[in-house]
Amino acid sequence: MKHSAIGLALVLASAVQAAERVETPELAVTLVAESAAVPGQPLNLGVLLEHAPDWHTYWINPGDSGLPTKLTWTLPDGVVASEIAWPHPERFELSGLFNFGFHHRQLLPVALEVPATYSATRLPVELKIDWLVCKEECIPGSASLDLSVPVGTLADSGPYAADFAAARARWPVASAANASAHIAADSVTVEAELPAGFSADQTFDLFPIQAEVLANVPGDASASNGVLRWVVPRSDYFRDAPDRLSVVVTQGKPPQSRAWILQADVVNLTAPATTAASSVAPTPEPPLGFGWALLFALLGGAVLNLMPCVFPVLALKALSLQGGAHPRHGVFYTLGVVLSFVALAGLLLGLRATGEALGWGFQLQEPWLVALLAYLFFAMGLSLSGVFSVGERWMGIGQSLTEGEGDRAALFTGVLAAIVASPCTAPLMGAALGFALTQSAPVALSIFATLGFGLALPYLALTLSPRLAARLPRPGPWMDRFKHFLAFPLYLSAVWLLWVFGEQQGVLAMGLVLAGAVALAMALWLFGSAASGRVSIAMALLALGAGGYALSQAIAHEPAASPASAASSSVAFDAADLQSRVEQGDAVLVNMTAAWCITCLANERVALATDAVQAAMREQGVTYIKGDWTRRDEAITRYLAQFQRTGVPLYVLYPGANRAPKVLPQLLTPDIVLDALATVETPRR
Amino acid sequence: MMKAVLISMIALGLSGAAMAATVGQPAPGFTLTDSNGKAHSLADFKGKTVVLEWTNHECPFVVKHYDARNMQAQQVAATGDDVIWLNVNSGAPGKQGSVDGAGANAVMAEKGHKSTAYLLDPDGKVGKAYGAKTTPHMYVIDADGMLAYNGAIDSIPSADQADIPKATQYVTQALSELGAGKPVSVATSKPYGCSVKY
Repeated sequence: MKHSAIGLALVLASAVQAAERVETPELAVTLVAESAAVPGQPLNLGVLLEHAPDWHTYWINPGDSGLPTKLTWTLPDGVVASEIAWPHPERFELSGLFNFGFHHRQLLPVALEVPATYSATRLPVELKIDWLVCKEECIPGSASLDLSVPVGTLADSGPYAADFAAARARWPVASAANASAHIAADSVTVEAELPAGFSADQTFDLFPIQAEVLANVPGDASASNGVLRWVVPRSDYFRDAPDRLSVVVTQGKPPQSRAWILQADVVNLTAPATTAASSVAPTPEPPLGFGWALLFALLGGAVLNLMPCVFPVLALKALSLQGGAHPRHGVFYTLGVVLSFVALAGLLLGLRATGEALGWGFQLQEPWLVALLAYLFFAMGLSLSGVFSVGERWMGIGQSLTEGEGDRAALFTGVLAAIVASPCTAPLMGAALGFALTQSAPVALSIFATLGFGLALPYLALTLSPRLAARLPRPGPWMDRFKHFLAFPLYLSAVWLLWVFGEQQGVLAMGLVLAGAVALAMALWLFGSAASGRVSIAMALLALGAGGYALSQAIAHEPAASPASAASSSVAFDAADLQSRVEQGDAVLVNMTAAWCITCLANERVALATDAVQAAMREQGVTYIKGDWTRRDEAITRYLAQFQRTGVPLYVLYPGANRAPKVLPQLLTPDIVLDALATVETPRR
Repeated sequence: MMKAVLISMIALGLSGAAMAATVGQPAPGFTLTDSNGKAHSLADFKGKTVVLEWTNHECPFVVKHYDARNMQAQQVAATGDDVIWLNVNSGAPGKQGSVDGAGANAVMAEKGHKSTAYLLDPDGKVGKAYGAKTTPHMYVIDADGMLAYNGAIDSIPSADQADIPKATQYVTQALSELGAGKPVSVATSKPYGCSVKY
């Protein structure tokens, strides 16, 4: 195609000032130098654009349509041109489409680096300029402009000095204000501290330098409490999030305008799944209503009473009521439980607010905590087995309470119940409580409080209702045997925790912790034996020290390379690897699991690791990716967050062909998985 | 972190029908009259791959691809493979490039269009339903009616014909990948050109 623009071009050369001009009916372009060239100093050139009324050209990011003006230089050896130092743009609307650019008279400045060794008397500059000028219709144009700049020392403020000054006045000021851009499936929120000189009373506009991240419509803009906020839909053509998003913020209209350029840290809530060719958001599960969430928390708490880690404590407490109920103790016990849960949730929310990537189940991601809990269960078991009794007080078990001793003991029993219950909540309720954590703090805390209340409820009911308490079996010698029996669930809990520890730290470390457990047992045995005296206490302390040493040694060991992951052939989770697979259109099943998550293990045993499912995955060419969250792992925590989860299990199927990922339920059956796999579309590889 | 999660949840909650056509989702249905007065519905083409090409024969970017015969060559290749290729003009009456049926037929004859039909969308409803922003702006819909491509005709945004041989032709690529049963490697790109004259 012939550019009619060029045919019409009228070329003028100005003898007075180094300048050359090309004119079309829509746009006149003049190449000008601000001064003579001085070797060793930058030479400021400008491309002056004079638009006919209603016509505009484009900024570096042109918006919904259009093209940025492009400059291509031919320069003497050693002379280097900078990029255009773009003045801030204005926003133009055309039938709901938005463009960023310039109208009226606008100079685009470019600096040339002239080496100190430059010795010629003139500096010849050749510029090829390509532009697109639009009103409603668009006309592309291009031209070649030559300029011969005299070399000298004169600082000349020629006839274009005002244009250079106006362009500089439109340069955005680089601001160090903290800024962030949160990219969600459908919207992007840019937040920043108010840059110096920003007026919170005045409206502002925002222009991203990178295209295809934000939609180009005006955002929902606000500036309050020292923070400016810009919420705008995500670009329809969004593919990859930049590490940083550069945005220009403007206030006012030129020539009275002010502008800043901010560097926003990008938090991509959608990567990697949804940045892959498809821009489809994962379908979130419908959020639970608050009322339902509370009801489930209450029921879940009540069910916790039956867990092997909690049941022994509760059963003994219940039996202790036979002498007569003490409502006060029930209330204090309840208080202890609820406060402990709220404190735990508050701690977690606090840590998350400071940016720690934690989810529910975090209490089992620290090996030392797992080992301590294992010791605690073991010690409680030993106590029930009769190896020792640490004054009935500290466990709150037995006679002391029925004899009406202290509210403090009741409160403490509540705390203990919450502590022993906490590892049990992670495996079975991790996902549900994780969801609670994503809610506002009051909602999250009330869900945790209700859970604690549910845990305390059976005992509270017994203390409040003498008739209920009267239905408990009569006391007798059988109680001792029952107490001994109840030690076994606690041993099992300890074994389970030791296994988790082994998964985290390896067999050697687990062996050391077991040795420590033996030392602990010996210490407790000495402590509890009739021959107690100074010697036995010293021995007990020694044994405890040995246990502690074993523990510290164990922790010092690096974890085994990768925790054992069943027989199925899986690939370890790697966010970048997953993204590239999804982008290639591969079908992928992601399984986020943890050794301490019993639901996860059950799902694997029952559904994922079955021959039928494994065969279907091979047949459909589905890559099986497993992420292990047994220990803290930020990458996995971030991945979970994309799906609004803060805990495992999470199963995500990418059905291939760049289609949207599908989240599978938290309780799997082979049929659920097979049905999901049947939707996969992928060429067999 | 907490805040980010909340924001994203709010954003997800707000997302709704207002979104334009999205790759991987069913393409918005439509019924439009062509240059010969015949009505076409997207549903009529179920089982076939459909290409939508937003056009405006006076737009220099459209002119680039027609004068270089790039667009016609792609139309010939596609329709030869039993793909339906529809021109869509969403220009409002009176604006640049807007045509009536006779006008469209004249443009098709003059430029040598090899498309299946030239559809008229003078009120811009279909253009807006798809989120068509530029001319050209290309969409590919697979045989199941799912949107498989949304974006530019090729990878080099310019009005210069000389760039065509250097560019990746995204629609051609998408059609050949769909034909081979492969996933579309570039399923979205930023369209370039003149704005649609709604």
